[in-house]
Amino acid sequence: MRSSIHRWFAPILLVALLLLPLSTDRYVQYILNLVLVYVVIAIGLNLLLGYAGQFAFAHAALMGIGAYTAALLIYRLHWSFWIALPAAGIVATIIGSLGALPALRMKRVYLALVTLAFAELIQWVLIHWKELTLGTDGVKVAAPELFGWSFKGDHRMYYLLLAITVVLYVIGKRIVESRLGRSFVAIRENEIVAQCNGINIAFTKGVVFGLSAFYAGIGGAMFAITLGFIVPDGFGMFQLVLHFSIVVIGGLISMYGSVLGAIVLTTLPELLRGFQSVQEMIFGVLLIIFVIFMPFGLAGLGKKKGILPDEILSRNWRDLKKKHEASLAAGSGDKVKE
Amino acid sequence: MSALLTTKGVTVRFGGLTAVDNVDLAVPEGVIHGVIGPNGAGKTTFFNAITGLAQISDGAIGFAGADITRQPTYRRARMGMRRTFQSVQLLPQLTVLENVLIGMHDQIRDNVFTSLFRPSGRNPEEEEGQQRVIETLRFLGIGETLFKRPVELSFAQQRFVEIARALVAKPRILMLDEPAAGLSPPEVVGLNTLLRRICTESGITILLVEHVLSLVLDVSQRITVLENGRVIAEGTPAEVASDARVKAAYLGDEHA
Amino acid sequence: MDALTLVVAGLANGSLYALVALGLVLIYKTQDVVNFAHGEVLMIGAFIGYIVFQLLGWSYPIALVIAVIACGVLGALIERIAFRPLSDQHHITLAMVTVGLSFALKGAARIPFGQDIYTFPPLFKDTPPIIVGTAVISPQSLVTIGVAVLLAAAMFVFFRSTTMGKQMRATQQNLMGARLVGINTGRIFSATWALACVAGGAAGVLAAPVSLLYPDMGANFLLKGFAAAVLGGFESVPGAIVGGLLIGVIEMLFGGYVSTAFQHLSAFVIIIIVLFIRPQGLFGRKAVHRV
Repeated sequence: MRSSIHRWFAPILLVALLLLPLSTDRYVQYILNLVLVYVVIAIGLNLLLGYAGQFAFAHAALMGIGAYTAALLIYRLHWSFWIALPAAGIVATIIGSLGALPALRMKRVYLALVTLAFAELIQWVLIHWKELTLGTDGVKVAAPELFGWSFKGDHRMYYLLLAITVVLYVIGKRIVESRLGRSFVAIRENEIVAQCNGINIAFTKGVVFGLSAFYAGIGGAMFAITLGFIVPDGFGMFQLVLHFSIVVIGGLISMYGSVLGAIVLTTLPELLRGFQSVQEMIFGVLLIIFVIFMPFGLAGLGKKKGILPDEILSRNWRDLKKKHEASLAAGSGDKVKE
Repeated sequence: MSALLTTKGVTVRFGGLTAVDNVDLAVPEGVIHGVIGPNGAGKTTFFNAITGLAQISDGAIGFAGADITRQPTYRRARMGMRRTFQSVQLLPQLTVLENVLIGMHDQIRDNVFTSLFRPSGRNPEEEEGQQRVIETLRFLGIGETLFKRPVELSFAQQRFVEIARALVAKPRILMLDEPAAGLSPPEVVGLNTLLRRICTESGITILLVEHVLSLVLDVSQRITVLENGRVIAEGTPAEVASDARVKAAYLGDEHA
Repeated sequence: MDALTLVVAGLANGSLYALVALGLVLIYKTQDVVNFAHGEVLMIGAFIGYIVFQLLGWSYPIALVIAVIACGVLGALIERIAFRPLSDQHHITLAMVTVGLSFALKGAARIPFGQDIYTFPPLFKDTPPIIVGTAVISPQSLVTIGVAVLLAAAMFVFFRSTTMGKQMRATQQNLMGARLVGINTGRIFSATWALACVAGGAAGVLAAPVSLLYPDMGANFLLKGFAAAVLGGFESVPGAIVGGLLIGVIEMLFGGYVSTAFQHLSAFVIIIIVLFIRPQGLFGRKAVHRV
């Protein structure tokens, strides 16, 4: 039987999340919507940078690709959001998987360069290929509809975003609690051990780059409909700074960390409104402090203090742990080795 | 009985240094075969060559009837070749459960997509894997470490977790690189007994590199002696222990 | 435009990239860290030069010297405060710290200088360009190339002939060995960072007259310098310098003969192609797997 806390926590949380819009004004709701977008973005980056330890800088550009794919399909081709959304994910995945190629062939130091250069390239294309992207004029994004019912308005948009976020969160959790997730961490820590245990590093890297890109693409599409309007500038260095800050401060190698980071770093800039220069400096300093003193971020701190539960990369580990502790208490079969 | 693992003329050169020089080896199935030699004899490099981590400059390696000379390391692992390392290589952030589960990576054939859509969220293959981990840990006498992290374990326990990771895959050959290093004499005796049990109960072939002679002479059925990358003697423990060249090679070494 | 003109202009730009690359490789070789904040060091050098030359009204050579010294001190401080305590951490941690540093420095620069884009007044308003054969060479280019060459030569002499220089080379080749021989590796690390930032700061001041000054200006130079270091295999300082010059020249030729719009990107396309064909760069050695 599931651990009792675990049993009622998730449903109660879900109900609370569903009821949330009843208590918010438009502005607060908009912020919450952004939080959801960044949860998805953060999960994607955490998989790549946190779990798999791949130091790649293309996440903001891939988010831009997802945003523009969705926005242009909706605006120029009048496609429905329900097709544009997966399309955004797929396009981002295809392009993002290419990032795995340098990761395989070159020294790890070069991955950063290639992905940085790639991000610059994408920015350049978004700005200069005006016939396609409308350049710096930006693209307006209409709110999605479902059977004639429009999601226009921050409160309605919330439910759509919540649904996508929950689904992607659950998928992410299942992935990390499987052999795939463990293989990511193996690659991060020790490629030699990984190989010696039958892990195909090339394949695994390809998978994690593609997966991370998928999340970035979907996040980008979510971003597009949340803002209703996108410009190339929004997917450059500052966006990347934000992404990195979210996963590092929230907590690497942690699903909870992605959520915490998204919450903290989406609300924080709103508190520091109008101080973009100070924001960036604060992010930078926070990044340094966290990396040195709290390498596993707020989530790591929470787990150490017992506020947050552990995250072990094996499905249904809680049942296993209960049985294990029961058998230890009963003193059966597990000799103490000195 | 044809040999499970063979090496013919395996040579490994780094720049100007020849670390392994024309080494032949034939390990039949189901035995414990030791590789010994003074420090710097090339034992670990030889291991690395067999597992594919070191590129060979010359020679061929055969395993389970196939020529694996060109196979990448992960393929060799999937064919049933597992090893431990001289300095324990566990992933520090992960619990023993996760660390050992990595040993079963290629055997949990879950497809992430199908398991996504199973409503109960349970994955039978993963659960089977978990059970195997528990059994393996119990077999090695460290069953209670399941949810501990490496930092909480004693050095001997960490070593055993690494062996568990290799064993849980039910390999055909288990290659141990100096497993006794850092263990106290009673722990070494425990290791001896364990190795014999692994061999007789599971039929797993063991290839053992060791610097501590007492372990190797006690537990191996055959021994190969390396010095400066070359084979200087091969035979039963008794033959090797009385070989003059072997004694000369070890002269000045404290271990008896 | 004439090829020789483009080449010389390319060499001038390339000298800047070479200086950035030099700084990156120095730090990487000694501490196995890529300093993602190096572009910001350049930016700081440029702005210090601006403050001294434009705001204080002192001469350009003085601005150069002050900026270079300031950056050198900054580099040593960064190493001492941020990196010395971390020297045994995971490479991802160290890389992240430099990333955070990059953000922090950029953000800090935005406070005084974020509202506008600044320009450095041209140094040789009244001097006509120099004609050599078919090439039209701007005096600024000559200054840039000249200073860069001097700096590189000075470093070369430093590494070959001075005690500290030799100690630095020893530390780069074998950290443990250097410690065993009694070399104060902590001081070497500080000195390495100082030198690297000297190069970066110099590049900044040299770039200032021909570039726009704004807090984000470092990114472009970091990329090009990074690319140059990669071409050189990230292992050798001469390789980095050659890489930088090559990129500068190729960029210019591409811009002149193919299209100026894509000029910016030509460097990266070349890099990606080179790396796929020869992953160790032009001058690097093939990676040796060792367990």
